[in-house]
Amino acid sequence: MLPHLDRKLWRDLGHMKGQAVAVALVMACGLTMLIMARSLIYSLESTRDEYYRAHRFAEVFAYLKRAPLSLVERVRAIPGISAAQPGISVQVTLDIPGLDEPASGNVRSLPDFGEPELNRLFLRRGQWLQPGKRREVLVSEAFADANKLQPGHQIALLLNGRRQDFRVAGIVLSPEFIFESRPGAALPDNRTYGVFWMPYEELAYAFDLYGAFNSLTLKLEPGASERAVIAALDPLLEPFGGRGAFGRADHPSHIRVLDEIGVLRTLSIAFPIVFLSVAAFMTNAVLSRLLNLQREQIAILKAFGFGNRQIVLHYLKFAFVMVAGGTVLGSIGGYFQGQQLVKMYHLFFRFPELAFRLDRSAFVVALFVSAFAAVVGVFGAVRRAAKLPPADAMRPEPPANYRPALLERTGISHLLSHSFRIAVRNLERRPVQAFFTVAGLALATGIMIVPNCFRDSVTHVLGFQWDVVQRQDITVGLIEPGNRRAQHAFAHLPGVLAVEPLRSAFARISFQHRHRQIGIQGQPRAAQHSRVVAKGNTQIALPSDGIVVSSKLAEVLGAKIGDELHVEFLEGKRLVRDVTLLGLAEDLAGISAYMELDGLNRLMGEGDVVTGASFTIDAAHKADFLRALKTVPRIGWVAIKESLRENFAKTTAASINLIQMIYLVFATVVAFGVVYNNARISLAERSRELATLRVIGFSQGEVGAVLVTELVLLALCAVPLGLLLGTGFATAIVTQVNTETVRLPLVFTTHNFAFAVMVVTIASTLSGLLVLRRLNQLNLVGALRAPE
Amino acid sequence: MNSSSDNPPATARSQVFRARGLTKVYGSGDAEVRALAGVDLDLRAGELVVLLGPSGSGKTTLLNMLGGLDVPTDGELAYRDLDLTHATDPQLTRYRRDSVGFIFQFYNLIPSLTARENVGLITEIARDPMAPEAALEMVGLSPRLDHFPAQLSGGEQQRVAIARAIAKRPEVLLCDEPTGALDVRTGIVVLEAIERVNRELGTLTVIITHNAVMADMADRVIHFSDGRVHHIHENASRARPDSLKW
Ligand SMILES: Nc1ncnc2c1ncn2[C@@H]1O[C@H](COP(=O)(O)OP(=O)(O)OP(=O)(O)O)[C@@H](O)[C@H]1O
Ligand SMILES: [Mg+2]
Repeated sequence: MLPHLDRKLWRDLGHMKGQAVAVALVMACGLTMLIMARSLIYSLESTRDEYYRAHRFAEVFAYLKRAPLSLVERVRAIPGISAAQPGISVQVTLDIPGLDEPASGNVRSLPDFGEPELNRLFLRRGQWLQPGKRREVLVSEAFADANKLQPGHQIALLLNGRRQDFRVAGIVLSPEFIFESRPGAALPDNRTYGVFWMPYEELAYAFDLYGAFNSLTLKLEPGASERAVIAALDPLLEPFGGRGAFGRADHPSHIRVLDEIGVLRTLSIAFPIVFLSVAAFMTNAVLSRLLNLQREQIAILKAFGFGNRQIVLHYLKFAFVMVAGGTVLGSIGGYFQGQQLVKMYHLFFRFPELAFRLDRSAFVVALFVSAFAAVVGVFGAVRRAAKLPPADAMRPEPPANYRPALLERTGISHLLSHSFRIAVRNLERRPVQAFFTVAGLALATGIMIVPNCFRDSVTHVLGFQWDVVQRQDITVGLIEPGNRRAQHAFAHLPGVLAVEPLRSAFARISFQHRHRQIGIQGQPRAAQHSRVVAKGNTQIALPSDGIVVSSKLAEVLGAKIGDELHVEFLEGKRLVRDVTLLGLAEDLAGISAYMELDGLNRLMGEGDVVTGASFTIDAAHKADFLRALKTVPRIGWVAIKESLRENFAKTTAASINLIQMIYLVFATVVAFGVVYNNARISLAERSRELATLRVIGFSQGEVGAVLVTELVLLALCAVPLGLLLGTGFATAIVTQVNTETVRLPLVFTTHNFAFAVMVVTIASTLSGLLVLRRLNQLNLVGALRAPE
Repeated sequence: MNSSSDNPPATARSQVFRARGLTKVYGSGDAEVRALAGVDLDLRAGELVVLLGPSGSGKTTLLNMLGGLDVPTDGELAYRDLDLTHATDPQLTRYRRDSVGFIFQFYNLIPSLTARENVGLITEIARDPMAPEAALEMVGLSPRLDHFPAQLSGGEQQRVAIARAIAKRPEVLLCDEPTGALDVRTGIVVLEAIERVNRELGTLTVIITHNAVMADMADRVIHFSDGRVHHIHENASRARPDSLKW
């Protein structure tokens, strides 16, 4: 049989179920996010690791110009290498029927017989390449999906300038392309860039590379030092045009997955902390009020010999029931939410199978964290109650000390209505209560700011990246560096309004012991297309010597303005130079380094070299332009701003917005919960007093006016405070999204603030109405009875 | 009827409480209140004592000390071998749990528990309790077992409180104005219940009241004023509660 104290527990809880549910819901929101985010992290990490293991993802990667296959034996002799896979990797141009713009791609070789040792493919649809059968390719899934390619379809590749038709044998995935994007591009466009695999022999003949390789991937022995292997490998490849080997930490696809996990990790901590703090606060408010109402009951329990421990436990159980409710709800919520969200990752990550995997340890963490929050929230109050000397508790609370409110003493009291005066006096008389209400409303307001700040930041990125920074419509890259003449040809294409040359040079930039391999962008001094923008959206005029880098890159390298960066060019004459860091660019995606075009060429010891150009196009002639572009030889790739923007909006922005929507719903739930809870508590604490007002002749309307006036006064204090608080929350959380692939700027809009105020106002109004309805049911007789 | 006839003479009973120079001071400095100013008192097993005195004379304070709800500032107070002046909190809790039953003016039932459960709450932690139903039977509330306090009249609630206090068979029953909130008829019903418990279970019973008429039902009447025992009056015989007139 249930102990009697527990029966009391359940009946009391039944009595305050609205509030208990509100607390449990807020807690559930926090836990849903915690469990969802942790499970997504677990799903991504474990799926990725299994994929890497099963498909033997390499650990060291190197590209070079051309080396004989015999070199591989010498590579294998380097200590610490357990497997080496040479191959061919070339950039090609494609012709996709129905696609206006030229597409480009990366074609890679597969051994003519048997599976590759490293980076094995996963066949999604269709068939593997048949030995001896020619004119067949395997196509990456992201590209195939974007262009609706199926096994059996034909596709035209321009191999070394010769157009050839290929049959799509199968659609595949590669552990090297979980995230598939053109090298150097911060944002993917799967429609115009794809990865293809062909037999070694066929590819080698097409590019005059038979008996040679230009890409190499390695797997290390357990415990081997990547650093040491790369140090031994680079001199070996250098004579063959090696561009510097790198590890997984520099692998574009790997970094993207890592970054995504990093963002999730932040969210899995930051959001639950905010929500659970609110829940802890609410638990405290609910229990403090309960203890206040039950002073006499506590005294009775003590008078009859219940010990402090039993009483503390009894009241902690109230909190634990809410925790348990919140944990169950949160677990269910996290499970289903996670299952929905994991589908979103299919948008940009390609795994053979990415199933939602529940992180069971998250439950334990959830239970522990929420129980901790609840105990922190209530322990003080409960202990105070237990400490209450029983004889004291038996006495009703001392009568309140009423006096004219501050406002009245200012001498304008005759201007104030009766209800207003009572309301003001009440607030002054119960400063702690007023504080709790203000804090609750402020939290509710603050929590609304965060998700919309996310949305506004993403919108800003979309606008900033493409309207302020990238003013060109189309960017074109050459297969091989060319000279200014190429630019001349570009200028004569139909519909061109302006053209600017650009040059990209692959280099390893290092400062002290940190380094990154990236393409240094050379462009005109004050480019009108790809503008380099500093803090405050002012354009940086590129100096003729010296370098400007993304502030994120400077952070990664640990360098500051004025430092000498060590630049090893990995192409051309492969010069090694020290360049002064002269400026920081506030770009929001990827990490970049910028130099003035002529300065870059000078530094590389080269003349008038360009690798591409950017265009602004007369919109009316866009189709003509693209058609003409398809006929220009040696075009490696084409990036159309609108497609990129659309693509970004469909993937990254969509995912952030989805998360933002979920959080917005949660924040709204919390705002309502807090406000409702506050209104209920203040009604419960005051029912006796309000009933007295009614008994001595106040009308229902007048009593209601007292309550409403109080609520409005408190809200007026709380809302500005809440906006401030929300700004703080959002700053703390949004600035955490700061990875090498994407950074969110902190953007606060009046729309955001107005929305928060509106939600809290609506919630307050509804809660107010609910409470007013209860006021009608106020039991005048009951409220005036002797204390039970 | 002289209901004390089946009890041994008061002086022959064993001593339960012994107070010497018992003092309780609230506050300090200007706000200092001497609620008890040196009380000397002995209370014996099984007797029924009525405590009379003007408002503010310290009656409730004394009762709280006796029941272990509060500790004295000075003086000695012992319950049998237990020194209540220096008892620790767990000792006091134990003492209240095993030996004391309280009845208050405002009943102080737990509103979320029924009559039966209010009693059961206490018997659950007691050493040698009677069944809650039996305790409620003694106060004539068998038909109201499963009613919540809000569904009971004041007198009925007070009788539940009595049942709750006696169900653990306490050695001491402490009542602070048990009829203060009740009308005459109901007051008599409540007093009868208390008297019956005192008689049948031999419980030392202390009743605080403002109603001098109730003095007639006591073995001894202690007159209290200014935090001291003014004088003690011993009744030759106890009057039955239903014969009291007020
Ligand atoms: N917690 C306290 N703090 C300060 N003074 C107190 C406290 N409790 C009691 N007193 C004071 O001690 C004195 C005795 O109080 P007590 O409650 O014992 O009187 P009483 O005889 O029971 O009065 P009544 O018949 O009105 O109940 C009073 O003057 C009272 O104001
Ligand atoms: Mg009193």
